[in-house]
Amino acid sequence: MGATYLTPGGALPYCKGCSHGLVLRALGQALERLAVPPEDLAIVTDIGCVGLADAQFSTPHTIHTTHGRSTAFAAGMALADGTLAQGRLKPVVMIGDGGAMIGLGHLVNAALLNPNMTVLVHNNFLFGMTGGQNSAFTPEDFVTSTTPTGSTTPPLDLGQLLLASRAPFFARKLATDRDLAEVIARAIAHPGFAVVEILELCTAYATRWNPLTGAELKNLADRAGYELGILRAAARPTFADSQRRQALRAPRASEWGVIPGEFSAQLREPLGLVLAGTAGEHVQSAASLLARAAMRAGLQVTQKNDNPVTQGTGFSVSELILSAEEILFTGIEEPDTLLVVSEDGARELERNAVFTQVRPETLVLADLKVPLPDLPCQVLRYPFRSAAGAKLAGLAAIVAWLSLTSVLPLEALWATLEARFGTEAAATRAKLSPFLEAA
Amino acid sequence: MSALERNAAPESPDASRESRFQLISGNRLVAQGALEAGCRFFSGYPITPSSEIYETMIAELPAAGGLSLAAPDEITALAYCVGASLAGYKSMTATSGPGWCLMIETVQYAVMTETPVVIALVQRLGPSTGGATQGGQGDVLLAEFCTSGGYTLPVFAPATARQCYEVTQAAFHWAEQLRTPVVVLSDKEVGMTLESVNPGSLARWPQTERKPFAAGGRRFLTYASPCLEEPPEFAAVGGAARVVATGSAHDQAGRLRKNAPEVIELLIHLQAKIAAHAGEMALVEEERATGADTLVISYGISSRAARAACRRMRSAGRQVSFLQLLTLFPIPAASIRRAAEGCSRVLVVEENLTGLYAGLLEPLVGADRLVRVNGIGHMITPGEILAAAEAA
Repeated sequence: MGATYLTPGGALPYCKGCSHGLVLRALGQALERLAVPPEDLAIVTDIGCVGLADAQFSTPHTIHTTHGRSTAFAAGMALADGTLAQGRLKPVVMIGDGGAMIGLGHLVNAALLNPNMTVLVHNNFLFGMTGGQNSAFTPEDFVTSTTPTGSTTPPLDLGQLLLASRAPFFARKLATDRDLAEVIARAIAHPGFAVVEILELCTAYATRWNPLTGAELKNLADRAGYELGILRAAARPTFADSQRRQALRAPRASEWGVIPGEFSAQLREPLGLVLAGTAGEHVQSAASLLARAAMRAGLQVTQKNDNPVTQGTGFSVSELILSAEEILFTGIEEPDTLLVVSEDGARELERNAVFTQVRPETLVLADLKVPLPDLPCQVLRYPFRSAAGAKLAGLAAIVAWLSLTSVLPLEALWATLEARFGTEAAATRAKLSPFLEAA
Repeated sequence: MSALERNAAPESPDASRESRFQLISGNRLVAQGALEAGCRFFSGYPITPSSEIYETMIAELPAAGGLSLAAPDEITALAYCVGASLAGYKSMTATSGPGWCLMIETVQYAVMTETPVVIALVQRLGPSTGGATQGGQGDVLLAEFCTSGGYTLPVFAPATARQCYEVTQAAFHWAEQLRTPVVVLSDKEVGMTLESVNPGSLARWPQTERKPFAAGGRRFLTYASPCLEEPPEFAAVGGAARVVATGSAHDQAGRLRKNAPEVIELLIHLQAKIAAHAGEMALVEEERATGADTLVISYGISSRAARAACRRMRSAGRQVSFLQLLTLFPIPAASIRRAAEGCSRVLVVEENLTGLYAGLLEPLVGADRLVRVNGIGHMITPGEILAAAEAA
C-alpha cells in the first residue's frame, strides 16, 4: 500500500452529483498510481467550490491563494525549486473556469516558461459558488443566472489558447470519463507544464437550468467545437533545463566600475553644470564621462538625467553637481555653467525656466546655431555640432569648458575616455582637439 | 552635530577597503543591497523609473546563485516572488506606482500568509500612469495603507544611493525576521540619479534568515506562533514538514475557519508582531541643534533638500534641528517626539500635494506646531524650505 493523499472517508463539501467529487477522486487515484512523495507535492487552489478541495488532502502541502492566481503562485514555487534546488517539487493547481479566465495571463505565461507543474481546470461553465453566473467558458444558449435567456457569446477554447502558448501537454476530458485518473496521471508525470481541462456538471445550477446530464456533456463539447482527449503530449525542455543550458554560456563582462582618484582639483564651492542637448546624441553619456573625470580628480558628483518618456527623441538634459564635500540637494537652484548643444536642449531649459536662474557670473557655452534668449552673463559660441558632429557635441562642449576654466585637469577626462573606450579613445580625442582652445 | 541613530546597527564599514569611488544610481544599489542580503529570487516587469533594478538583478542574481526572471505583468511578478518565498527563497520585485496598484492583492496575501517578500517601489508622479520620468512622493500612504484592516506594512525610505543599499538590507532583515512584505520606497530622483559612492564605505547588515521549524517530534502547524508578537516558525513548501497555507482567515493549522477566537487572535497577531518591533525598526538620521526652536522632518528625496536647508539656517546662526526618517512605517514615534521636544515649530517636508505623511504626524507633534512644506512636479528646493521656515 502506497501513500494516501486525500483524507480517507472524508465527506466532500460538494452538492449531490457535482463533478468536483469525481475529479477529486480521480486525482487521488492518479497520485496513488504515481506514488508521488507527499512532501514533493503541493496542491494549490484558490476561489470557488473547487477551491475547497485543499482541505480534503491530508498529506501533501496545500496552498490556498487568491482568485485565479494559483497558477502564478505555483509557477513561482516550481520555477524557484526547479532552478535553485533539485526540482522535486510538483505543484498541482486546481482551479475553475472562472479562475482560469481571471488568471488567463498566468496560464499563458506558465505555458511559455514551462515550469514543472500541472493545472486541472474544472470547467462547469459557470460560477457555482456565487449563484451560477456566466463565465468566459459558458457555451452559447447556456442558461445561467446572468444569461437567463441563454448566453449569446461563444465560449473560450482554452485548449487552442494553451497549445498556441506552447504548453507541452494539454488534455480535455469529461468528468464522467472512465480514464480520467489515467489522463491526470499522465499529465502529472509529464515533465513540464501540463493542463487538463475537465468538463463538469454543476448540479446546483447548470443541470437545473439546462438540459444537461452526464450523457449530454459530450454533445455540449461537440457543439462548442471542443476537441476531446490528449491534444498534445510533447517533449519540451522545462524552464529549469533551459536555465541550466543558459548557465553554461559566458557571464557578462562586468561594467567599467571603480574609479581611482588619481588627479586633483581645486574646487572651493560646489559647482552646478547643466548639459542640454538632444536625445540619442549621447548627452547623458558625455555628462557621465565628465562625472567620472571629476571623480578621478577626487571630487564628489551627482548626475541627474532628464528626458521625455520616449528613449530616442526630444531633449536630453544632465544636471551635474561637482563638489569637494558631500552633496545633499541633487537639483541645481542657480546653475554655474550651462552647456547647450542643440535646439531641443535650449527649448527644454527655456521650458524649465533655467535661463531665468542665470546670474552675471554664470558661464554659458552654446553651439553657434542654437538660438538663446538674451542672458545677463557671458555666452561663448562654438561650432560644437558642425565641427565635432551631433554625437560628440556634448563632449566637445565639456572639453571647451574644461580648457577654458581648468576646473579639472583635462588629463582626468582623457584617462576616463581611455578607461571607457580603450584604443578608440585616441581617435575621439583627436576629433575634440579643436575645442582645446578658447572661442 | 551630526548624530546617526541606528537601533538595529549594521556592521560598520570596512575601513581597509580602498577609498575609490563608483558612479552609481540608487536603483543599482537597491539591487546590490538585495544581493548582499541574500536575495535568491527576483521577478520583474519593466516600468520607469524602476527598470534598472530589474535589469541589474537579471544581470547579477544568477552569478550570486539565484534566479531572476521576467514576468508578464506586475500581478504575476509578485505572485512568482511569493511562490518562491513559500518555497523558502528570499525574494524581491521592483515597480513604480502603476505596478504597485496591481500588486496590492498579492501584498495582502503575503501579509495574511506571513510570507517574507521585499518590494522596491520607485515612485513617479501620479495619479494613474502620471509622469513616468518625474519624481514624487505621492505613494507614501498608498504603500502603507494597502491592506484591508490597515495592517502596518514596514516601509523604508532611502534618500541617497548609499541609503538605498543599506535600507534594502534592512528591508530583507525585517521581511525575514517578522515574515512580512516590506517596501523600499524611493522615487525617480533617488533611484535614477547617479552619485559618486565609495563602495568601501557602505554598511553591511548581517544576513537574516526566517526562523526554521525545528522538528524534534513536534507536529508542524503552519501558523503556530510562540506568542502574539513573534512570527511562526517557517517550513518550506517542498520540505518534510507539511505546509498548509491560506490567504483566508485561518487557525494555527492553516484551516479556513469563520470567526473562531483562534482566528481572531491570528489576525491580531499580524499587527502585534510588527508593532512589537516598531522601536527596533526605527531608522533615522538626526542633526540636532542645541536649544533648537525649529525641527525639520523629512524623508526620501525631500530630506536631502531639507538637510541642506537646515545646514544653511544653522550657518546663518539659527537653531534648527533636522530629522530624516529612513523608516516611515511603523512610524518612528519615539524618535520624532524626542527630536521635537522643545521646538515650537515642526516643519514636515515632502513632495506631494497635501502633506500626506505630515497628516499622520499631527497627533504626535500637535496641529499647532505642524507646518507642511509641499510641492509637486519638481524636487522641493532648499530655498523653498528656507522660505517656508521664514514664513512659519
